[in-house]
Amino acid sequence: MSNFFQVKTVFENIPEIIKYLPITLELAVVSFLISLLVGLILALIKIKRIPVLLQATNVFISVIRGTPVLVQLYVAYFGIPMFLKYINLQYGTNWNVNGVPAILYAIVALSLNQAAYNAETLRAALQSVEKGQIEAATTLGMTPLQTLIRIVIPEAFTVALPSLSNSFIAMIKSTSLAFVCAVVDMTAAGKIIGGRTYRYFEVYVSLAIIYWIITIVIEQAEKLIERKIRVPEDVPVPKKQKEERIEEHVTGNKIRANRKEAGDPGSESVKEIQAERSFG
Amino acid sequence: MIRVRNLSKKFRQNVVLDDINLDINQGDVIAVIGPSGTGKSTLLRCIERLEVPESGTVEIEDRVIGLAPGKARRKDLSLLHRSCGMVFQNWNLFYKKTALENVMEGMVTVKKIPKAKAREIALSYLDKVGLSDRAGHYPRHLSGGQQQRVAIARAMAMEPGLLLFDEPTSALDPELVGEVLDTIRQAADAGYTMILVSHEMNFVRKVANRVIFLENGHIIEDGTPKEIFSNPKSERLRQFIMKIDRLQEPDYVI
Ligand SMILES: Nc1ncnc2c1ncn2[C@@H]1O[C@H](COP(=O)(O)OP(=O)(O)OP(=O)(O)O)[C@@H](O)[C@H]1O
Ligand SMILES: [Mg+2]
Repeated sequence: MSNFFQVKTVFENIPEIIKYLPITLELAVVSFLISLLVGLILALIKIKRIPVLLQATNVFISVIRGTPVLVQLYVAYFGIPMFLKYINLQYGTNWNVNGVPAILYAIVALSLNQAAYNAETLRAALQSVEKGQIEAATTLGMTPLQTLIRIVIPEAFTVALPSLSNSFIAMIKSTSLAFVCAVVDMTAAGKIIGGRTYRYFEVYVSLAIIYWIITIVIEQAEKLIERKIRVPEDVPVPKKQKEERIEEHVTGNKIRANRKEAGDPGSESVKEIQAERSFG
Repeated sequence: MIRVRNLSKKFRQNVVLDDINLDINQGDVIAVIGPSGTGKSTLLRCIERLEVPESGTVEIEDRVIGLAPGKARRKDLSLLHRSCGMVFQNWNLFYKKTALENVMEGMVTVKKIPKAKAREIALSYLDKVGLSDRAGHYPRHLSGGQQQRVAIARAMAMEPGLLLFDEPTSALDPELVGEVLDTIRQAADAGYTMILVSHEMNFVRKVANRVIFLENGHIIEDGTPKEIFSNPKSERLRQFIMKIDRLQEPDYVI
């Protein structure tokens, strides 16, 4: 039975696989940042309905959504070198095709894939910002760029955050396909371990545990950020007032203590002190 | 002196403004009245170029600012927006900023006033509209009247040469109208030049030094409140005022 499924092996694998966590994170974070930027540009093209670019954007999004990410990774892995070779031939340039690090192919494929999805999320979020606020910013003399950065994006980001967090989780999971571009991420490392020990099942359980924990961490981080950036439910209490309140509490105690010391429970002196305080 | 010249605007076939000319003197408080749908909002929005008219210019400080498409230069529009502030019917405060940050925003980003100084100025304007104790509140924590007063402080803090109010009280609950009208009155007394679209005729009578009657895209009459309300020249204006007076009679009949 113990040979059938070794729980111990599952946990022994984890430290070895974790060594490749930085690769997975690098791939995911870099790709995601690029996808946000490209997605924002695509969203703005859609909102402003810029001719030619709008049609190109629509075709791009349709193609990306209509094809599996695995196929996109293959296309990037084989297509980009072919394209570079073609450029070399055509223009006599001397790009070193073999010098391109494998991770770049994966980053190109994953970021463009996610950009297509983020474009929709960001477009909806940007358009959820009331037009009136943009007009108000315009009448103050703010430029369109200032308005976008200071008024529209902060509000739109709050709206988009839950979807973006889901996208990022999806991105983490997509990186497990990067082995087709010869990138050794956690999943690829797991496959190698499996090949060595013939304990594939245990390795995949280890991987499942790791991905699951990463996802939980991201979800918690999202909640934290959301709490930080949303408009608070109640009126925020400025720091100074908070301190004053504590001070008041302390002086209140002092007054009571003083009264005890003086042996004077008379209400008049309390009133006096209160009056003094309200004038001070 | 700000001059509006040859301002024309139509939405498809619907001519809303037909060659409007208007001279605004320093310190003028001009009320724009007229039937619903007659283009009062459109007039203000064209002056501020939130709406793009087919033709028209605004002259400020001897600069002629073209408003029509292709005639508007970026630098001119920047001057236009700095010179003309606007208060909207629905306040349009920045949702994610506190009252104080709302008032500071234009000073910091447009006028490039250092943050500490801008904060000081913003607080003084919040004080002017009676909201210095609400500086840290977000719009969602303020009543409609308070939000509108913050919006007025935000517009005033930019010290515009012309302040435009588009029905600043018509989205408010009746018991909140007074506080906003008081604030506008203070701005008028402080010497701000302003154009005010309002259906509050009693207020207009008291605060404005000029009243403009706008109908079918034309300025039909332009005069002092006394001339307009007590001695209307045109039949159209007479009818309009009669209708308004009937609406504003006290409810003792019921
Ligand atoms: N964005 C728009 N597209 C098409 N037509 C418009 C638009 N905005 C206004 N109009 C039309 O222009 C005319 C003038 O509208 P405007 O809002 O300026 O009137 P108003 O005098 O402010 O009326 P109210 O007193 O009801 O606010 C109306 O007939 C309206 O239907
Ligand atoms: Mg209107």
